[in-house]
Amino acid sequence: MDAADLAACLTRALGLSFGVRPILRGIDLTADAGHGIAIVGANGCGKSTLVRILAGLAAPTAGAAFVFGEDSRRLSAASRRRIGLLTHQSFLYPNLTARENLEFHSRIRGIDRPREAAIAALGRVGMSSIADDRVRTVSRGMEQRLAIARATIADPDLLLLDEPFAALDRDGAAIVRDLIGDSLKRGAAVIVTAHTVDGLEALGLAPFELINGKLRSIPAESPQPAQSSQAGGLSLARRTTAGR
Amino acid sequence: MTAFTAILRKDLTLELRSGESTVALIALSLLIMVVIVFALSQAGARGAEAAAGALWIALVFSGMIGATRAMAAERENGCIRGILASPVDRAALYAAKLAAAFIFMAIAETAAVILMVLFFNLEFDARLIRIIPILILGLAGFSAIATLLAALSGRLRAGDLILPVLIVPLYVPALMAGVKSSGALLAGADFSMVAPWLKILVAFDILFIAAGCLLFEHVVGED
Repeated sequence: MDAADLAACLTRALGLSFGVRPILRGIDLTADAGHGIAIVGANGCGKSTLVRILAGLAAPTAGAAFVFGEDSRRLSAASRRRIGLLTHQSFLYPNLTARENLEFHSRIRGIDRPREAAIAALGRVGMSSIADDRVRTVSRGMEQRLAIARATIADPDLLLLDEPFAALDRDGAAIVRDLIGDSLKRGAAVIVTAHTVDGLEALGLAPFELINGKLRSIPAESPQPAQSSQAGGLSLARRTTAGR
Repeated sequence: MTAFTAILRKDLTLELRSGESTVALIALSLLIMVVIVFALSQAGARGAEAAAGALWIALVFSGMIGATRAMAAERENGCIRGILASPVDRAALYAAKLAAAFIFMAIAETAAVILMVLFFNLEFDARLIRIIPILILGLAGFSAIATLLAALSGRLRAGDLILPVLIVPLYVPALMAGVKSSGALLAGADFSMVAPWLKILVAFDILFIAAGCLLFEHVVGED
């Protein structure tokens, strides 16, 4: 059994180019069960693209990504069932209520008692009060919380969160941090992207920076001055000082 | 089967809640009927075959809108990606979208049949019952091809414009079979006389439903 079989998620020399423009270059990444990775980087650096590749929604043009030992381009239904994905898009139907949306995602993931699962997921993100509101009527921050409830509803073994703190208030960010911590405790692998690494290290996530399409680890002892603020206390930006 | 039921149920809930597609399809069927009745009355053609032609024109054009709308709902908020990232089998997804499109189009087609009878001075009699199998086969084939191509066109720039260009040529064999057989049945012909046309419709449905199940994954797949 090799590393690709053991790791929840593993990439080898992963690359992606749009035409002649490289987005990702030589990405080597391993996320084992119970371990978390934080990937930070500027807008447009390829964080979301990397998450989409790991979720099997985009294909690399070089190298390969393996999720639960399977090539991400050909993930089986069993492997897809074990992945929880949050992207910039909520995957929620505007004309369905919050509960109906989560029930739908429970059903297509084969969860027993989808209604109960939906209600429990709403409670976890503090959105029980809007269970019967249509998604089109809720705020962006509430929609983000619902999207996080959707991503975590099946207790995934690999949690891919693309900028989960976007649009969240302080309480919402705290809820997301708790959910990440709970996922790590029950043995899930977690990959989080964000603009800044601060607040994520406290969760035990190994920090990496994606810059010029390459992934580099960020040593813990390299704090930088604050550059920007973000909701939920994730206020600092750090820069990498060491290559990988 | 669970995923199929969940997706179909979700599509029907969305449609019942908004009614956008069905109302638009019925309105378009009405407009097409009115235009054709006026056009054909100038030429003096108001018989059963003209009525059948009008009915199938309404089916094709309202069906294209229906198929586009069904997939458009999946593009909002990236919902189709949410399904693709889940364990749903692509064939089950295709089957559910096909079934939803068929149901919406069947509702619109029922209204179109009523309008056809009224506008072409036909009788509400047994002849209408006899064209039901033809319409079901025609709708199934159209839903199959339209669902597949709407998924493809939805990923393209100006896809809504490309959809009719793709669908109509492919649907011509079924369209010919449908118009000829339903026209003959409305004129009082026996079922045995339209058997060859029925076989074409059945073959068309099998071909495009199978093609849809096999190709849908590649059409809606990765970015």
